[in-house]
Amino acid sequence: MLAVLVSIVSLGIVAQQCQAIVIYTGWERHALVGSDIRLSCSFFSWRWTSEEVTFSWTYRPDGSRDSISIFHYTGGEAYLDNKGPFKDRLEFVGNPGRRDGSILIKNLDFNDNGTFTCDAKNPPDIVGRPSSVRLLVFEKVPIQAGVITGAIIGVVLGLLVLVVVIYYLMRFLVARRVFSLNVSKHGKKKKEGSQQRQGPAPPADPSKVKAAASEKKKQESRKDKK
Amino acid sequence: MLVLGGIIFLHVSTIILLLVATIDNAWWVTDTVSTDLWGTWEFQSSEWHYFNLKTSPNEFHQSVQASAVLACIFSILALFVFVAQLFTLPKGQRFTFTGILQLISCLCVMIAASVYTAELHGEKGGYGHAYILAWISFVLTFLLALTYLILRKKSE
Repeated sequence: MLAVLVSIVSLGIVAQQCQAIVIYTGWERHALVGSDIRLSCSFFSWRWTSEEVTFSWTYRPDGSRDSISIFHYTGGEAYLDNKGPFKDRLEFVGNPGRRDGSILIKNLDFNDNGTFTCDAKNPPDIVGRPSSVRLLVFEKVPIQAGVITGAIIGVVLGLLVLVVVIYYLMRFLVARRVFSLNVSKHGKKKKEGSQQRQGPAPPADPSKVKAAASEKKKQESRKDKK
Repeated sequence: MLVLGGIIFLHVSTIILLLVATIDNAWWVTDTVSTDLWGTWEFQSSEWHYFNLKTSPNEFHQSVQASAVLACIFSILALFVFVAQLFTLPKGQRFTFTGILQLISCLCVMIAASVYTAELHGEKGGYGHAYILAWISFVLTFLLALTYLILRKKSE
């Protein structure tokens, strides 16, 4: 009994020590030249959010191998880039108490293409892997992947459904008219009358005529079988 | 019965080929790159990494995607309609609806593969197995469509 308790407790302690802090950013962000973009960063940790939680952002331009640090939050204070490429363009819009370390970059330029890495530490939980988000700056918003695809698929399927519905509707309507003609034997006079009425009417669709003809054939074949 | 089983088997295998061609990423293959309709696998620093299509998928790419998906959808629809028509069709009649759906599927595969061939060349390398499967399924869907349009339901 005691051995079981001890093993459970030790498992718990070991499990806690094995947990690491997990950092979440986006994967890729797209933005227009001259616009602002908010790069979000949050983390998951088994510990309570401590007072000494820190966030830091580093930037690596596309095609370069060096990173430069552009933002650091520690001890309740946010320190923004005041010498580097983002001078006067950064703003801290996160909420460290809520584990949010997002930054806002204003007035984007083509030189801002690159990878932004967020590293968060929640003492004593400091073991974790920084997460990166890639920023792509465009002149005009490209057609999002999948919009045209979805449109083509939707239109074709819609047309198919429409054609099927119209086809069955036509058959149903024609069937009703034929049905009302051959209601009973003494309705033969009715049949002739309505046929005369139908005479001068313009021949509607060849499909309607075909459908009517096939319906009549079917009825005849049924009568023959009987 | 044998004919029926054979046709259904052929149809199901055609659907499988179409799905593999659409989903598997090997339309254009080089030594380090393997591209398909949806993304690219690149071999960088001894590991394969998956990227979205780089030049933001232009209209041709998206139309190829749409045609390939539509071909799969129509072929699957044709299978269901065939099974339904097996029970509801009057004897001696042809499976026209099934044949038409399968023909549209064949058309879509042809559009997808042709547009891909015409527009989306890489620099070097060759066409991958998913591309070849697309053309094979084009032939199969065409044959199946002809079969459905010619076949008549057994009459007494």
